[in-house]
Amino acid sequence: MDRSDDLDRKAAMEKRVAERLAARAAKEAAQAQQAEERTAADVTDPSTYMGPADTRSGQPAEGGVVGAGGRGKIDGLAKITGRAIFADDLKLPRMAHAKVLRSPHPHARIVSIDTHEALAMEGVLAVVVGTDLPTRHGAIPVVMDETALALDKVRYIGEPVACVCATSEELAWLACQRINVVYELLPPVLTIEDALDADKPAIHEWRRKGGNVLRKVDQSYGDVDAALAGSDLVLEESYEYPASTHVPLEAHCAVAAPSDEGRLTVWSSTQNPHYMHRTLTRVLGMEQASIRLIKPDVGAGYGGKCDTFCSDILSAHLARLLGRPVKMAMEREEVFYAHRGRHRTRMWLKMGMNKDGRITAIDFKAWADGGAYSSYGVVTSYYLGVFMPLPYRLDNYRFESTRLYTNHPPAGPKRGHGAIQPRFALEVHLDRMARALGLEPADVRANNLFPPDSITVNGLRITSMGLPDCLAQVREASGYDEKVGLQDSGPFKRGIGLAASAYMCGALHPIYQTDTPHSGIQLKIDRSGRVTAFTGTADCGQGSNHMVACVVAERLGIQPEMITVIEADSDLCPVDLGSYSSRVTFMAGNAALHAAETMRSRLVTAVADKFGVQPEDVLCCDGQYSAGDQALKWTDVIELAESRFGTLGATGSYRPPKIGSRFRRQSVGPSPAYSFTAQVAEVTVDEETGIVTVHDIWAAHDLGRVLHPEIAMGQIEGCVYMGVGEAMLEEQRYRDGVMTTPSILEYRIPTVYDTPEIHAILVESHDPEGPFGAKECGEGPQLSTVPAIANAIFHASGIWLTHPPFTPEKVLRALRQRDLQRAREAT
Amino acid sequence: MLPLPSFSLLAPDRLDDVLAPLGQPGVRLLAGGTDLLPSMKHRLFKPATLLSLSRVPELARIEPTEDGGLRIGAMATLLGVRQDARVRAGWPALASACATVATRTIQAMGTLGGNVMLDTRCLYYNQPAGWRASIGGCLKAEGSVCHVAPRGTGCYAAQSSDTVPSLMLYEAELELLSRRGSRRLALSELFSADGRDGPRIERDELLRAVILPPPGAVVLHRKVRPRGAIDYGMLLVAVRRQGDGGSAVISALGPAPVSVRVEQLGDLAQAAWKASNPLSTHSWSSTWRKHMVRIEVARAVAELTTPRLAIAHG
Amino acid sequence: MPDEIVLKTTINGESARLLVPANRSLLDMLREDLGLTGSKHGCDVGDCGACTVLLDGQPRLSCITLAAEADGRAVRTIEGMAEGGLLHPIQEALHRHVGAQCGYCTPGIVMALAPLVDDPDQAVDDETLREVLGANICRCTGYTRILSAAREVLAGGDRQRGRAAGAREPSDGGTA
Repeated sequence: MDRSDDLDRKAAMEKRVAERLAARAAKEAAQAQQAEERTAADVTDPSTYMGPADTRSGQPAEGGVVGAGGRGKIDGLAKITGRAIFADDLKLPRMAHAKVLRSPHPHARIVSIDTHEALAMEGVLAVVVGTDLPTRHGAIPVVMDETALALDKVRYIGEPVACVCATSEELAWLACQRINVVYELLPPVLTIEDALDADKPAIHEWRRKGGNVLRKVDQSYGDVDAALAGSDLVLEESYEYPASTHVPLEAHCAVAAPSDEGRLTVWSSTQNPHYMHRTLTRVLGMEQASIRLIKPDVGAGYGGKCDTFCSDILSAHLARLLGRPVKMAMEREEVFYAHRGRHRTRMWLKMGMNKDGRITAIDFKAWADGGAYSSYGVVTSYYLGVFMPLPYRLDNYRFESTRLYTNHPPAGPKRGHGAIQPRFALEVHLDRMARALGLEPADVRANNLFPPDSITVNGLRITSMGLPDCLAQVREASGYDEKVGLQDSGPFKRGIGLAASAYMCGALHPIYQTDTPHSGIQLKIDRSGRVTAFTGTADCGQGSNHMVACVVAERLGIQPEMITVIEADSDLCPVDLGSYSSRVTFMAGNAALHAAETMRSRLVTAVADKFGVQPEDVLCCDGQYSAGDQALKWTDVIELAESRFGTLGATGSYRPPKIGSRFRRQSVGPSPAYSFTAQVAEVTVDEETGIVTVHDIWAAHDLGRVLHPEIAMGQIEGCVYMGVGEAMLEEQRYRDGVMTTPSILEYRIPTVYDTPEIHAILVESHDPEGPFGAKECGEGPQLSTVPAIANAIFHASGIWLTHPPFTPEKVLRALRQRDLQRAREAT
Repeated sequence: MLPLPSFSLLAPDRLDDVLAPLGQPGVRLLAGGTDLLPSMKHRLFKPATLLSLSRVPELARIEPTEDGGLRIGAMATLLGVRQDARVRAGWPALASACATVATRTIQAMGTLGGNVMLDTRCLYYNQPAGWRASIGGCLKAEGSVCHVAPRGTGCYAAQSSDTVPSLMLYEAELELLSRRGSRRLALSELFSADGRDGPRIERDELLRAVILPPPGAVVLHRKVRPRGAIDYGMLLVAVRRQGDGGSAVISALGPAPVSVRVEQLGDLAQAAWKASNPLSTHSWSSTWRKHMVRIEVARAVAELTTPRLAIAHG
Repeated sequence: MPDEIVLKTTINGESARLLVPANRSLLDMLREDLGLTGSKHGCDVGDCGACTVLLDGQPRLSCITLAAEADGRAVRTIEGMAEGGLLHPIQEALHRHVGAQCGYCTPGIVMALAPLVDDPDQAVDDETLREVLGANICRCTGYTRILSAAREVLAGGDRQRGRAAGAREPSDGGTA
């Protein structure tokens, strides 16, 4: 390199350094002021804030990594070259294969299981039935109602009944067909009405009380009845949200292999390895330390891989039993039975509004068809109600939600868990009331918002709040304000609709009681300069590996590609609770930041001492530590620090803040922060056919801080896509307990043709506790998609749809009713 | 992995070697495999022998006939047919019908012959084996009751070939070949009234080619499906203008396509609607599918009678 | 015993002679017999496109293709796409646009899109691009980033492998 280049480079570098320092100073000043204001706000309600979190988000980003994009993600290359190893790609010497036989009946007693014929087949190694693994387990420890295989009774069509392990997958599959099960049929419970009927048979007859009600939650805040009575307008409506399912392209799969000293290694396509680790320990009766649980690359989950499935337990059990590796891969059809998807939910909503658009009160009831087992159903019952007071100011709120058992495959956590259904009802309801009062719905939303640093009527603590910006940006980008004034004539009606939403960034409380951190990270640095981050997080495609690398790289002043992320291996990585409740960026990001801070302070101390400057004067970026004229490159920094401190390692952890609540029973719902979304949908309704086309969706999401723009936008796009599927096409349909949609052909997830143009807009609100201010962006953006489409259909055609998916038949029916109504009004 | 049932495989490269085993018990022809192999994975068929046609080059040829028509070999792929300049110019509705089959990748695998001979389809039939067991079997596969019409005796599985409606209106013929010789059959004669019965040709006959008469017919093809790709049609409509009148073929509603002909084109939509009787062989409502018959035919007629568009399609 | 067949084929440029059961799908031959696990089981019945490979240069759903079809033909899989350490342009663009989230559908998508890019004489309009992508289900991305990556490559004119700007070695390593 010639000298002039060198000088240019140096000048550019100095300029950048100066800019960074100025930016840092400005940001620090702003943050100090914010912190002061926040303390003042906290003092106003001391009962709800009991101490700071393990967060260090006050740090400015100066390394140039946070927010930088255009170069992919650290594990992207493995995925585009086919080198990523998913569980089904694992092949071990002498590996055997397991398959299960599933129930053909929704509700039946198992009289006998004859396995002789299957066992006699050459190549069949073992047959397992329910009584071999009788220990009950459950996603939420307070309700353990599930076994690996049905014990004495089957409770849904598709429930695993018996398992064959054989030398090949094909043989195991064939041998399953040779198992003879005799059933005594029981009357099934297939509707919400029947599940509420105490005279119907109890699906879990061993439960002492409750019949088919898994959990009923009711909470009341303020004086709902009085507020409704005093409202200018009260609207009451019923809604029904269908069952839908995740359809990750990778079917669930687990491989287990015995290893030294009686230990077992299990590779599972899971989102929640830590909870699975505990469940396997329980069901197999092993020491937790005797199981090594590894999550390989996972072909997505969206909530569908949060539970422990028969494939996990059976592969582990058989590997132990046979002393050889065992794989169990589900078929696509089986994934539909494993389900744990969206609860079919019937809702009733009554809301009051004053002439100025102020929401006075909400009274809400929900009944959810949870299927045969509880999964995360206890949490669902809360999530159906607790987020309703977000993001609109509301002083009077009452909800009652009931999560029921039926003889359908178990519902569970699907993206936007429990919050999707009520958000649909609320956002449609709000539009309807605003229009009835002659108000612009978008303005009504904007005028009802909580300011930052607020506490909702049910005690949720809002910190950062970027929804005003989201609303303004989607209105601007979509041309909402102009288009909302247009009306088409002729059969093709164009319409535009808006909705807003809020979601959590992780749960304050894990599923089991503990004071241990929710997330842990361990860092080590090789003398080559390569940093390894060990994390318990479970990347399922959302980009959490890159998130960890990004946060660490930012603080250490290197690039993310310099970081190797080792994730979700219980022998190597500290515990993280898993990829659920949109907790990973917030919690693991903070743990990563904590670890990186600790590491950085050692490196900076060593460098500062060598330079003879204060540690805070050392600037770390672009793989160089510098102060004034002095600079050290990254590997020299490592050598210096390692010489001084010895081996370089650091840990970091995150525990959410201890936010108390004025309300008892308020342990499910509170989160350290909330994300916010506003969306606009533009549609055409063909009034002759009832076919609705969604053309464009603009989604502005307050994610606190952009860590990586393409990954963040990808999450928003994926959410909107899944929302469009639920709005237009997807429904888990049943006939007499038989799911008629157990394939990608019949369960219609959108193809590229069915996907609108999605315009993701990133809005930053700099959360005071998020890592570099970041919040979630992988679930929340789905919440407002369905209501935005429903509101756009109203704008186009003047029909309110209360029951997604918005199929042509439903649209036509509503149009006919509209025409009848109009005719009646005309006469 | 969903295993295929065991079978022995024959993949001759000469036509004579195809004809020899054809008609023997347990022998089934394999063309593109895009419908047969999934059905075999679902245990709808367990042939002892699969007789693959993929290695007989002459079966894939597209060539003009002496009278100015076109002879499309049964193994010509749907993608090949829709991209063929002669097809696009002379029989554009066939090209656009091919373009609506499932996906482009399926079109590159599936063949015109396979599409014409497509097995009838039903929500209760095209399902995995274990699923069918949970409903006590389907009449067309292994059961004794039809779940679409439990009180009836017939099978209502729907003829769902995308290419058949337009081919019928182009008055296509099938060239059938067996050791006994060759014969021609009007495509409209192929279909059975019961969804179980399959195409009305002899067991030892091979569909060798589809013969299109010389161009001139003005035909439009329309497909109604839930998604823009992948899905089979839940309603297929082809409309042909003939002077002041016209005809339509309505398909995917029952075991055989329904033809209607009217003297005044304006009456076609109503006539087609009256002639259609969809049953719940599809997960979307049959009431709506019937409603759509009228609209789709009317829209096709409107398109055919709009001069600008007629040129574009003619 | 199921019938077995012998087949001679070329896989990613290397010739192979195999003995497989007649009912073996091409996908299972690749995955089980050859250890080429980049092609995925998504639905196993031809609905999703995750198993797409090239057979004589044409995209093909390997889960509903008999292994026997590969006899005498050339198979190309995702493992054969990055040649000589250089990514295929569509891979490079997908990486940069973060067109892969979970990555399970990605090999199939690369195989479906690659032939569009590889024929530099063929002008590919947006409708064709959507049509090709219509054969592949992606459940993560909403297709947005896949489309933007493909549009960029197809509009680039120079569809040559290892284009100067973004070509990268297929390793995860980077520099600080």
